[in-house]
Amino acid sequence: MPSQSKDLYLPRPAEIREVIEENSQIKTFALSFIDREYQDRFSYAPGQFLMVSVPHCGEAPISVSSTPVSGGAIHLSVRRAGRLTAAMHGMRKGDVVGLRGPYGRPFPMAELAGRDLLFVAGGIGLAPLRSVINTCLAAGHGRRITILYGSRTPSDIAFKADLTSWGETANVSCLLTVDRAEPGWQGEVGLVTALLAQCRLEPDDAKALLCGPPMMIRAVLAELAERGFADEDIITTMERHMKCGVGICRHCHMDDKLVCRDGPVFTLQELKQLKVMELLG
Amino acid sequence: MKDKYLLKKDHLLPLLRKLKKTYRLIAPVRNTHGDTLFTAIDRLDEVRIDLDKQPQNSLKQFFFPQQEVLFTYDNPAGDSYHFQPVVEESPPSLYFGVRPCDLSAVLYMDVVFLKDAKDPSYLQKRQNSILVGLNCNDPFASCFCNVTRSGPFIDFGFDLQLTDLGDRFLVEFDRSRGQEIITSWQQFFAPAGEADVKAQYQSFLEARGKFSLQVHLDQAVRKLALGEVPESVWEELSMRCQDCGGCAYICPTCTCFTIHDLQTSDHAGERLRSWDACTFSGFTRMAGGHNPVDRQMRGIEKRFRHKLQFDVKKDNRPSCVGCGRCVNICFGGTDIVRFINMTCCENS
Repeated sequence: MPSQSKDLYLPRPAEIREVIEENSQIKTFALSFIDREYQDRFSYAPGQFLMVSVPHCGEAPISVSSTPVSGGAIHLSVRRAGRLTAAMHGMRKGDVVGLRGPYGRPFPMAELAGRDLLFVAGGIGLAPLRSVINTCLAAGHGRRITILYGSRTPSDIAFKADLTSWGETANVSCLLTVDRAEPGWQGEVGLVTALLAQCRLEPDDAKALLCGPPMMIRAVLAELAERGFADEDIITTMERHMKCGVGICRHCHMDDKLVCRDGPVFTLQELKQLKVMELLG
Repeated sequence: MKDKYLLKKDHLLPLLRKLKKTYRLIAPVRNTHGDTLFTAIDRLDEVRIDLDKQPQNSLKQFFFPQQEVLFTYDNPAGDSYHFQPVVEESPPSLYFGVRPCDLSAVLYMDVVFLKDAKDPSYLQKRQNSILVGLNCNDPFASCFCNVTRSGPFIDFGFDLQLTDLGDRFLVEFDRSRGQEIITSWQQFFAPAGEADVKAQYQSFLEARGKFSLQVHLDQAVRKLALGEVPESVWEELSMRCQDCGGCAYICPTCTCFTIHDLQTSDHAGERLRSWDACTFSGFTRMAGGHNPVDRQMRGIEKRFRHKLQFDVKKDNRPSCVGCGRCVNICFGGTDIVRFINMTCCENS
């Protein structure tokens, strides 16, 4: 639902309905537009992002982590990284931000239906995949879903309620690992690629969706290639500095592509045509 | 001759005086410092219109100002945050004496700002514009529009186009708005004859032979496409580039911008957009400091690849119009002509 020409850059006020503290660095903000009629009409697809305005801080692109339900709250999971996100972390229920969007090419949801799905995420990277996973489950995805999630420490694990609920779903297996254990942690310690080795995968009939830090992406790509995944069946979402979100300002360029317009979701097949830091190292 | 007219040079100022009643007039004006700049003219009798020198600026700043307010906002309290669109109607404007390079640059900006998402400010200014071109009989020392195929003459994209034939201009139109001007002020125009059109063609042939720079553009474009530009070229350019952004600011087709807030009081501010340059180290730096592009090394490379590789792949033509302004402004000697010719001289 991109804006009309005259208000291309104009945000709409949206109220924070709830703040969920995922960990010390990530908060999820449940938002709804103050204009109720607009809120009811508003829709988006997993993988898309919104430009978020915070007073005096400008704008930043944040991917939606919720499932599109008519009239439902929009979840933005925000890691404290710079000035705008720090200001946002100081905001409370009832405070107002500006939103415009949604922008970008979403995950190919139709192609995911009827396939085994492997999700590999690190840290805040679970946010956009959470939108996909919950959308698939809400649509009654019957095939196997494997979720691998890596965090730095056990207290850095975000989206705990979702992880618990996914773990209790019959066709879903959800495996966690941390870089560094803390007292009381009984689970895995090590790279998310080690979890991958434990999984039964049928690459011919599966799609893999990744999101996380570049180092993780490179390691997982190498492992998936080894396991026989085709490049077109590996899908990721890219993060870049953005200003306009609508394909004009060119901050998010990757060779001849713009992440805001041609992405942020890309298949590995598409990324291999480009010189991309995440692949080159 | 159908659709071709003559305008005596003596009639130029009287015509502009009439047009100025309807339009804001922008033309190359020689100022007291001796600089020739596209300038919005207040009083026609008090300025010197200069059609002999290349204007130091292009039309970029008129359609895409160096800084502009996208909207204003206020947030009297945490639970309120309002956005007010800025309604800044651009008056109908007539741009006079636009050379083919700068005209081509406007056509390129149309693609950037209007092809997918339509930029409201640009669209408004563009819809209210009349472009009156001037073919180049005498290319300047740093010009190379002959190899970018955007000059020295152009036959599309303008509303009216003038060619200097000595004591008169040959006048053509490409758009109905140009034709309207001729119809409305027909006392200034006479039909052109076959000899005039022949004289125009003769001027074109002569202009084509007057370029002094040798620029191997096609060869550089081919090498970029094939990945044959030696790493040593990028190394030398990035070492010499002073990261001043001058090339991007002066370039009629460099349109990258940034968006930021300017706080004007405790509870109010403006959302601004300003020119930016992809050669700057902060251009791709993300919150938290991570930068996916090594700007020190790759900033200048991104700029040349955008103009000569990615835009060629997308639109089948480079987005450099050969105006030569970056050649004149770059004190590091890393302008696009230097790059093109380095690429073609070094062995890969």
